[in-house]
Amino acid sequence: MKQFFKQNHKTDNSIRQMLRKRKSPMLITGIVMTSIVLLFVLIGLIVTPYDSEAMDATSKLAGVSWKHLMGCDNFGRDILSRVMKGSATTLFIAMGTVLIGIAFGIVIGAIAGYFGGLADEVLMRMNDAALAFPSILLALVLISLFGTGRYNIILALGIAFVPSFARIVRSEFIKQREMDYIRQAELIGVHPFRIMFVHMLPNSARVLVSSLLIGFNNAVLAEAGLSFLGIGVQPPDASLGRMLSEAQAYLFSRPGYALCVGGTLIFIVLGFSFLGEGISEDAKG
Amino acid sequence: MLLEMKHLNIEFHNRTIPETVVHDLNLAIKEGEMIGIVGESGSGKTMTALAIAGLLPRHGMQKSGEIQFQNTDLLHCDRKKLRSIQGKDITMVFQEPMTSLNPVKKIGWQVEECLRVHTDLTKSERYQKAVTALADVELKEPEKIYHMYPHQLSGGMRQRVMIAAAIVSNPQLLIADEITTALDVTIQAQIVKLLKKINKLQNTAILFISHDLSLVGRICDRVIVMKDGYMVEEGPTDQIYLHAKEEYTKKLIAAIPKCEKIQL
Repeated sequence: MKQFFKQNHKTDNSIRQMLRKRKSPMLITGIVMTSIVLLFVLIGLIVTPYDSEAMDATSKLAGVSWKHLMGCDNFGRDILSRVMKGSATTLFIAMGTVLIGIAFGIVIGAIAGYFGGLADEVLMRMNDAALAFPSILLALVLISLFGTGRYNIILALGIAFVPSFARIVRSEFIKQREMDYIRQAELIGVHPFRIMFVHMLPNSARVLVSSLLIGFNNAVLAEAGLSFLGIGVQPPDASLGRMLSEAQAYLFSRPGYALCVGGTLIFIVLGFSFLGEGISEDAKG
Repeated sequence: MLLEMKHLNIEFHNRTIPETVVHDLNLAIKEGEMIGIVGESGSGKTMTALAIAGLLPRHGMQKSGEIQFQNTDLLHCDRKKLRSIQGKDITMVFQEPMTSLNPVKKIGWQVEECLRVHTDLTKSERYQKAVTALADVELKEPEKIYHMYPHQLSGGMRQRVMIAAAIVSNPQLLIADEITTALDVTIQAQIVKLLKKINKLQNTAILFISHDLSLVGRICDRVIVMKDGYMVEEGPTDQIYLHAKEEYTKKLIAAIPKCEKIQL
């Protein structure tokens, strides 16, 4: 028992030291902005000022007021409530996309990077072929195959995101393959898959986390783009891209609508990219 | 005989002209024996060690001959069989202690890895064995070191950890590839003494590779001298040091620095 407390105390100390050491302003900004976004979305999941789908003909295209903090859209729905719901949808899709992308990316990149040789050649040429398509176009093709809807978007974008993650993981694994501690693991007869996922993967964590955040940003933008084009989230579900495309009709009569939605999107993306940049900056110095 | 190497030839084919790094090498190691391989850089010492440990690259080279260990030819058996021997019966410690430990894993985890892969011991049994191994290599406070990360240890301590990881599974053969080269002289002496102790206590055969003849002479029963991939001379340590037959061996021995009073 005594030893347990001793240990606990030590880890506690090292975390505190870590926090004291890392003071990159970019990282702090990123953490603050991301926390605000997450809080905003979490509150939106529990309660919104108005029902996000309730229409009110009397306040159609209403301006900013204390009653409606961001005004109302062309159906008289409260924009703040819809932004809250829409951000949640967007973040959910982005998260699913990144998870699919990174899961398959890690497996493909790890096999290509660790084994090298023929496996590397075959996997990477396939990867290059997939990378040759712009990811949004690839996602378009996939959506036309699978159909629309939020789970199909996740699948389509996820597949489109695999190649870039696979590349990052592969280069990390090639770097590590020659390290003495990996040779040591090979020497004591550890199975190659155990070496890849237990010995090498944790060493790539930092690079992976920052590329995951950047990928997350791209996924947010890609989802907004698809919904803007009308092939993403289907109405009446709210999504930031969908709302932007609705807002463009009133760009001059009610610029507040587009500004509020676009501003939220920028805030989300900026927060996560600050976080990603901050982490990779810390990893360097 | 624990290990018998017959007519080992290692040839690299990844350049335009094939390059042979080990020529027709015969070597036999008895149980519990301490055997030294000496030679200058590029004489094929490390390649021989890697061949025994099964760590030679799979592509771009040609290997012939055989290495018999417990009725298995290490050079030609399949990888699964090889993996079951690596780490359990044959272990190896590398030259560079600073990079041989995984930076994100705790010392204890790395010492235990061998047991985790090769045995079905429970967590507490593994802990016991790892702490015992850390104590065996004369590290102070092994329980504390068990929970540390590599960057918290000095080079000498890390090399001790590497040795602990190599002996935790009670191997029959330990290959020490230039393990003292990166350490300073006082630590070198301690590590060498430690190897001798492990050899006595656990009856582990040790293949000690070095270019430092004075260290080899101090601990090994038998010495093999290598040059340019060929074995130059082989024999009991005393015979090699006192009555070397080959000219090259005599030159190597003459190159050992002697402690004499220096007139200033």
